[in-house]
Amino acid sequence: MHAQAAAGPLAMSGPPDVAVIKAGQLVRQATGGDLEAFEELVRRLQRQVYGFAFQHLRDFAEAQDLTQEIFVKLYRNLARFDSSRPFEPWFWKLATNTTINYRRKRVPAPTDQELDQAAEPAGKSQHDPTLVDALAQLDPAYRLPILLHYYADLSLEQVAASLGVTLPAVKSRLHRARAILRNSLAELDESSR
Amino acid sequence: MTKVPADQPGGLACVRARVLIESYVDGDLAATDPDLASRMKLHLAGCEDCRRQHEQAVSLPFRLKALRAPVPPASLLGNVMNAVRPARVESRRAWTLLIPEAALVAFIVWYLSGLEGLASVASGTVSDLQVLLNWGVGAAQPPSIPVADVFLLAALIALAITAAYHLSILSRMGAPSLRERRRA
Repeated sequence: MHAQAAAGPLAMSGPPDVAVIKAGQLVRQATGGDLEAFEELVRRLQRQVYGFAFQHLRDFAEAQDLTQEIFVKLYRNLARFDSSRPFEPWFWKLATNTTINYRRKRVPAPTDQELDQAAEPAGKSQHDPTLVDALAQLDPAYRLPILLHYYADLSLEQVAASLGVTLPAVKSRLHRARAILRNSLAELDESSR
Repeated sequence: MTKVPADQPGGLACVRARVLIESYVDGDLAATDPDLASRMKLHLAGCEDCRRQHEQAVSLPFRLKALRAPVPPASLLGNVMNAVRPARVESRRAWTLLIPEAALVAFIVWYLSGLEGLASVASGTVSDLQVLLNWGVGAAQPPSIPVADVFLLAALIALAITAAYHLSILSRMGAPSLRERRRA
């Protein structure tokens, strides 16, 4: 279910299977040096990747920077992609590793004040600002599996492969993450009353 | 053995029930411990606070899935493509460095007129060296060097110098980092 859903956002229209083939074709063409195919691939993925980067970093400029880095890394690593396997899990593993390294190298842990400032313009574009705020307070170790599973629509197995951990570890992290989010939402709801 | 609180619904303390909520919602608890899942069901039926938490836990995955992605800036696609393109342009530019060498090689090949010319140049060089050797020991007059040979020698020296210079440039040309590309 998730594997098909993961391919869904790649397509503007048409059934999921066709979308998978189209994405695979674009990757093959891009691997052969077709820049137009790569541009189309970026066009289709950019919203999802930018959203993932923004939900993780909570800063528009940093999210743009990270998104760009993910796509440049994708281009440089296209030759390593095994076209007999699905593209999405491979891509999201690359995106996750890039995100982890990016955060480790370049982004200091944001202060609460910075988070509030960053959340201000985001709140206007988000339809669930309470959840966005709760997500922002979540430890990155818990936020990444949440974003990969619920936001990027990867299956539990694909999340495990992307993070390089076991399936039970992913389940455990997701349960813990959701419990923390649930508590944060309850606190935020109480404080807003 | 854990003491079961008899006064709590389902014989389950709230603090324990809240730890199990996510596992219960996903169906994992029913699969691994059906008895505990049944007690959890009873607890939720009798505890309003935990029921509220359960409702929150049930709706959370849907709320997470419904989060909308912010619209990426219009410049993003262009920036990505600009960051990707320079690598190819630079490699094309690197090849243009070898144009002088190509011109010199073309001149030398034209001058030598193929293999026959090459063989005559080789035999001529050997005889010239003999004449030079004899001149060095005082047994012969200084050799006369044809003007065309001077051109050939100059072309070979120019070829060696420019090739060495361009090879040193090419060896220093690594793939620029993303930061360098952005600065560029």
